[in-house]
Amino acid sequence: MENKLYVVSVYTENQVGLLGVIANIFTRRSLNIETLQVLPSEFEGIHRFTIKTRTSQDQIDRVIRQMEKKVDVIKAFYYVDDEVLIREHAQVGEFLAAREAEYESDK
Amino acid sequence: MITGSEILLESFIAEGVDTVFGYPGGQIMPVYDKLVNYTDSLRHILVRHEQGAIHAAQGYARVSGRPGVVTVTSGPGATNVITGIADAMVDSTPVVVVAGQVGTALLGTDAFQETDFIGLTTPITKWCYQVRRPEDVAWAVARAFHIATTGRPGPVVLDLTRDAQVGIAEAGHKKCDFIRSYVPCPKPSAEAIAEAAKMIDAAEKPFVVYGQGVILSGAEKELAAFLDKGGIPAGSTLLGLSALPSDFPHYKGMVGMHGNVATNVLTQDCDLLISVGMRFDDRVTGKTSTYARQAKIIHIDIDAAEIGKNVPVDLGIAGDAKEVLAQLTALIQKREHADWETIAGMYNAVEKHKVIEPEVYPESGRINMGEVVNKVAEVSEGKAVIVTDVGQNQMIGARYSRFAQTRSMITSGGLGTMGFGLPAAFGAKIGAPERQVCLFVGDGGLQMTIQELGTIMQERAGVKIVLLNNNWLGNVRMWQELFYGQRYSATRMLNPEYSSIASAYGLKYRFVEQREDLEGAVREMLSDDSAFLLEVHVEEMGMVFPMVPPGKSVNEIMLNSNDWFSYGE
Repeated sequence: MENKLYVVSVYTENQVGLLGVIANIFTRRSLNIETLQVLPSEFEGIHRFTIKTRTSQDQIDRVIRQMEKKVDVIKAFYYVDDEVLIREHAQVGEFLAAREAEYESDK
Repeated sequence: MITGSEILLESFIAEGVDTVFGYPGGQIMPVYDKLVNYTDSLRHILVRHEQGAIHAAQGYARVSGRPGVVTVTSGPGATNVITGIADAMVDSTPVVVVAGQVGTALLGTDAFQETDFIGLTTPITKWCYQVRRPEDVAWAVARAFHIATTGRPGPVVLDLTRDAQVGIAEAGHKKCDFIRSYVPCPKPSAEAIAEAAKMIDAAEKPFVVYGQGVILSGAEKELAAFLDKGGIPAGSTLLGLSALPSDFPHYKGMVGMHGNVATNVLTQDCDLLISVGMRFDDRVTGKTSTYARQAKIIHIDIDAAEIGKNVPVDLGIAGDAKEVLAQLTALIQKREHADWETIAGMYNAVEKHKVIEPEVYPESGRINMGEVVNKVAEVSEGKAVIVTDVGQNQMIGARYSRFAQTRSMITSGGLGTMGFGLPAAFGAKIGAPERQVCLFVGDGGLQMTIQELGTIMQERAGVKIVLLNNNWLGNVRMWQELFYGQRYSATRMLNPEYSSIASAYGLKYRFVEQREDLEGAVREMLSDDSAFLLEVHVEEMGMVFPMVPPGKSVNEIMLNSNDWFSYGE
């Protein structure tokens, strides 16, 4: 099965040690975490982990279910990274192009 | 205001705990000190090694359905229970472990007997929590019991710092029945159940494989009613054994590596496989890429993460087995599949002729393990709680025991923990004092936790220990014979004089070597309620057949060392 870059989004209670619990789910399956971000979510007292990993559709399904099984995890989702990445890439690209244009016109 | 230690013990009592298995030590001494005041309500059982405490708690939980409780000290006390925690995790056993921990000021300093117990147990617990303040003790205990016992049960660890034990807080336990982020029992989808009923009605050769989930959810009656109405043959996993009585008409035997021929062949011949409360362990499925590929598969499990984990399924129903089976039974048509069930009978007849009769009724030679297990089943009329260790004793114990009631088979399935048997049997006896508890154990496994004979002596627990002594680590020896060119590496075992050990611990003892002495010895053992060690010198090169060798499909079955099952038989 084809591997893709997935964005995993996990909403959790704010409990000590959860980072380890979440990271373990990836480690046990030899999944490399490409990026990881933990921030308070838009809901009070609830944190959101955003994780990127490259794997198959089957495996990411299992990962999501293993996450939701954890007592302090509220919800977990995944997205194929393409859409997110393309949009982000376009925005960053536009930003850099604009900065470059400014630099050129200043010169 | 009372101390955190007292809050802990009062919370235990409020949660219905009457028995605690444990071992004192430095950082749990405040709890043990207060325990003296609660001996009217809490029976503490002093084991001989912490591993014994956790396996005893597992045996207690498995036989009674109530959570097993363990108290140990920090450091080595805590690390010694880790094997049992991992075992309870994979076998879904509700256990609450409270371990002492150094004071909060010393955490992370490598203080005497400090270990990072939360770090060590996070991957092998359903939940674990370090309690740092006395005011959190009652909350943590309530949460621990709720999590350990609901949904798919499992082990929970509380790491109780010294501050939490000796500090003062308000008394008062409030039970926990809701945790926002935790949904122990998903509501089964009505559409999925309706779809499943359609698939069952359309099937010509349906087959049910059920596991311990049926016992854990108390769905034994619902399963029987479902099989009766649908006219569906069924096989049990190792941990599902005793959920249906052995003589139940639709029950065709155990599945898996050393399961029965019929159940394994039916798995590969059915057109619909309905799995209930089981998790497609590789000892059940053999080679997963060929497992039941011809069939549609319905998987019913309370743990949604199990659905599709090991085997792709056509329909998953996340929910409690009792509820799902009751709803399914109401929807399906009353059917019979007489021809299909007859086929199962034919395969079992092949097994009876080629495997069971030579094992149980040999004409000469040493006593076989199967003869011993069969004799215990006969004399006890299948009413005993059977506990096994791990290895040949376990497989033969599972194959030749008979069960008249549920919660009668206690064994370490997923982890395969040698040394589990003796303490688990002892815990089971504490959990079901009115029942005969009979342990089948090998000479290897008995010696792994043999110190618990001291606990059995002190508590006067009437455990019946059947030692199947072959002077080998039999299961590994068998694999060496079959798969490693008979190179017997580190499996020959020199045994102690068990009669002397029995006498040192004040156990009744019989040694049997001759076939004609077996029945009398078993009758003597089961005639009263005292602890008994029955040592049987069994065939040293004994094998366990049938066998689905590792990596094979479950219908590729060895009937003995040079005879494979074939469909023509």
